[in-house]
Amino acid sequence: MVSESETEGGILRFLATIDIRIVYFLLFVVVVGPLLYPIGMPISVSPDTVEFHDVIAEMGPDDIVLLHLGTEFSGWNELSAGSTASMRMLIEQGAKVAIISAHPEAISISPLLYNSLSDVMDANDYKYMEDTIDLGYMHPNEAAVASTASDFHGTVRTDYLGASIEGTFLDDINTAEDWSLIIDIQTGVQSAAMLNHYRVSYGAPIAKHCIGVSVPGAKADLDAELLVGVLPSLRGGAELETLIGAKGPGVAAMDAFSIAHYMLLIFVVLGNIGYFGYQRSASRRTTVGR
Amino acid sequence: MSMFFKRKDIQLTIVVLTFLVVFIPYFFNIPALDAFSKKLITIASLVNGFTLALAIHSQFRRASNQWRRKSRGYYWGAYMLICLIMMILFGIIGQESAPWHWVMFAVINPLSSVNYCILAFYLSGSAARAFRARSIQAFMLLAAGSIVLLYQAPLTGAVFPVIDPIALYLTNTFAVSVSRTIYLGLATASIVLGVRMLTGREVSFLGFAREE
Repeated sequence: MVSESETEGGILRFLATIDIRIVYFLLFVVVVGPLLYPIGMPISVSPDTVEFHDVIAEMGPDDIVLLHLGTEFSGWNELSAGSTASMRMLIEQGAKVAIISAHPEAISISPLLYNSLSDVMDANDYKYMEDTIDLGYMHPNEAAVASTASDFHGTVRTDYLGASIEGTFLDDINTAEDWSLIIDIQTGVQSAAMLNHYRVSYGAPIAKHCIGVSVPGAKADLDAELLVGVLPSLRGGAELETLIGAKGPGVAAMDAFSIAHYMLLIFVVLGNIGYFGYQRSASRRTTVGR
Repeated sequence: MSMFFKRKDIQLTIVVLTFLVVFIPYFFNIPALDAFSKKLITIASLVNGFTLALAIHSQFRRASNQWRRKSRGYYWGAYMLICLIMMILFGIIGQESAPWHWVMFAVINPLSSVNYCILAFYLSGSAARAFRARSIQAFMLLAAGSIVLLYQAPLTGAVFPVIDPIALYLTNTFAVSVSRTIYLGLATASIVLGVRMLTGREVSFLGFAREE
């Protein structure tokens, strides 16, 4: 038997107890729609992104940068835009880049990164082994990170294909302090070992590009000067693309990103209107009825 | 001999010595100790790596037991073993080889991405049905969250830049301070646990069930 309070309420009741399938469907529409038919909404650039950009902008042909890929494929969707834009900057500035994969899946992500920038590499005469090297997987635990920090060539001798790194630009790297910059691309907490052994022990500058949930933690590290820059999530990636004038997947995703955020807010507001208009008054009626 | 190493006091002594060997080089420059410490860490890391073999063995035993008993979801155990064997084989062939990359790009990439994007649906469901201003504190949380959410949408800053300093204040003060609290709590708890382990008050990690 349906009670009176369950039958009344109309629109307020609908808002308070909205069918989850409607929410899912609307989210699907607002994400897929702008991806298929981009609107090209303007985006603002946050101070964090400007700071991160400025750190990379200081790199030149004499600098050797370590790109530390601590991401799996799922996180790569959020970090690919920022990583690609950072790598593009380094290539265009002629900085040397070594890539280390700190996640088993990242071994297959570095080829994606190279492929997406092959035209930029060709245009800048940027060559594998001469200007960049993929060192493959390195377990991101304390032992491995500490070893590469104190004696790089004692730990790493070949690239991921097994070719010797002797005679390459990595000859100039002996300890962690020889890196001009470390760009730590992270979905997890693997960077703790990097901070302990590269930053604290040798003072190597580390800039971090992380997923949204890791940003408050990274900001705390930034305040403590353990990091020199933080690029926050996909939005940071889109902002970096905008700053360097190379719009890519990050900017393309920002229409959906903005609309989905507004949709969430609208649902929060409508849900609360329903809550105060229907659920709270219903509970009062029940209390009075008793 | 094995009985000797099973003694709790001997194991604790080894733990304390190992701790000192790794800990002291952080603060004092003793090259010989530092070199020994690094060797020890590398050995520990390699031993740790071999525990993977133990994990694979356990999974095989578990799945075969499930299969024998035909317990609920036994076929998923078999499916997992097939995937496990496939990944081991492809990994042995080479992580730069085509089969490995095929698994990564054609299977793991889409599955992993779907797994991640499902979070967005959970979040939207929560926004619609759970985020309620049931109290003043909840209202304040919702208000702050809404401002940050508005700021996170890149369009907002472009058309309504006044929100930027407010949202940055909220994230750079409240969010970061909470983050620091968690960090400090973790660090303090780690130190306390370490001291308890070194003083023999926490011995379950050595395989002694009863804690003193």
